[in-house]
Amino acid sequence: MSKRYKSKKILVKRRYQILAVILLILAGGLVLLPKYTKSEGISPELFVKNALSSERFINTDLLADRIINNDPSVLLIDTRSEKEFKEFALTNAINIPLKNLLDEDYIDYIDQDVYDVIFYSNDNFYANQAWMIGNRMGFKNLHVLKGGLNEWFNTIINPKYPEETMPKEAFELYSTRKAAGMYFGIGTIDPTMKTGTKKETISKPAAPKKVITKPKKKKRVPEGGC
Amino acid sequence: MGPLLPNGIIPPEWNYIIAILIGIAFGYIMEATGFSSSRKLAGVFYGYDFAVLKVFFTSAVVAVIGLYYLDYLNFLDISQLYVQPTYLWAAVIGGMIMGVGFLAGGFCPGTSLCAVAIGKIDGMVFTVGLMIGILIFSESFSVLEPFFESSNLGHITLVDTLGISPYWIIFIMTILAIAAFAISDKIRNKVKKVFY
Repeated sequence: MSKRYKSKKILVKRRYQILAVILLILAGGLVLLPKYTKSEGISPELFVKNALSSERFINTDLLADRIINNDPSVLLIDTRSEKEFKEFALTNAINIPLKNLLDEDYIDYIDQDVYDVIFYSNDNFYANQAWMIGNRMGFKNLHVLKGGLNEWFNTIINPKYPEETMPKEAFELYSTRKAAGMYFGIGTIDPTMKTGTKKETISKPAAPKKVITKPKKKKRVPEGGC
Repeated sequence: MGPLLPNGIIPPEWNYIIAILIGIAFGYIMEATGFSSSRKLAGVFYGYDFAVLKVFFTSAVVAVIGLYYLDYLNFLDISQLYVQPTYLWAAVIGGMIMGVGFLAGGFCPGTSLCAVAIGKIDGMVFTVGLMIGILIFSESFSVLEPFFESSNLGHITLVDTLGISPYWIIFIMTILAIAAFAISDKIRNKVKKVFY
């Protein structure tokens, strides 16, 4: 074996040794790197952006409208305790107390993209917390009922009668709310509405229906084709 | 971020195109490393050439280290990667059959196709045998099925079985790989040189 060949062989060997050491260092680096628990869900920046935006809120009028129209995509979730839920809850709501939000039994209600999930509680507080958790996990279509049940009560169940100087829209809103309250089985027609807003609220008697007769299409005898 | 395809960063339409490109690259590298020669492959069993062991072990170790660094840096979610289910006894028996075939034929399925691509006759014969084997297995699958599915352990990895952190497993595997390379070099030096 020539001297040159020998030295070349040693050099090749040295190269392999260096490569082996690099591999060991890289593998050892994985062991030695400081460990951190990976956060699940969306990035913190996006979380803050979503949290600052008020897009998640849905107001009581819109919700009432969607319930009355039997919107099938609405999924109401009551984040209060079971006891409170039994005392009063919105139509077709599901009770998921905040502390059980991520339980296996309930997670499928929240982690989906078919329904518009609407959280509510007595006010924004629990519902917002539930929304925060869901948003952090990256779940879609989560909303919060703005003002919660208190707002629901103040606007739909027991709307405040607008002052005389308020614009026409306020009265219209009032009558809509009143009607919605009646739909939910609580409101009654109050005397002020009968006298004060008679003109605005009572709709005109419907005009007699005109019967439009459709001219019947003449049956055409199929002509011979080629 | 990653994996790129399941997370929709690359649209799924690219699936097959990427698969073909990776396949071409894989075949090219196997051919370039000399894996289309059955003598080189059989060398592992006779102790005169350990290229197969070195190449596959190195690529596995490099890939796993790279993947875990990407995971650490949040470029990739390792938990989203697909893990092949383990059918323990079926895999043991299958491995033995494959080993015998490997030694007798001098190819594994991938390298045999490489050999076919460069026009080797033994590769073609091997591929025909491969097809016959696949046919026999498929036709007798209803008989084999109970055994095939008897020991399904699910999508497990060493991390689940041993309960050790994956980083330690990678480190130990790296040491084992380097030890295996050193020992295989020693063996090769002792075995009579074969020129092919």
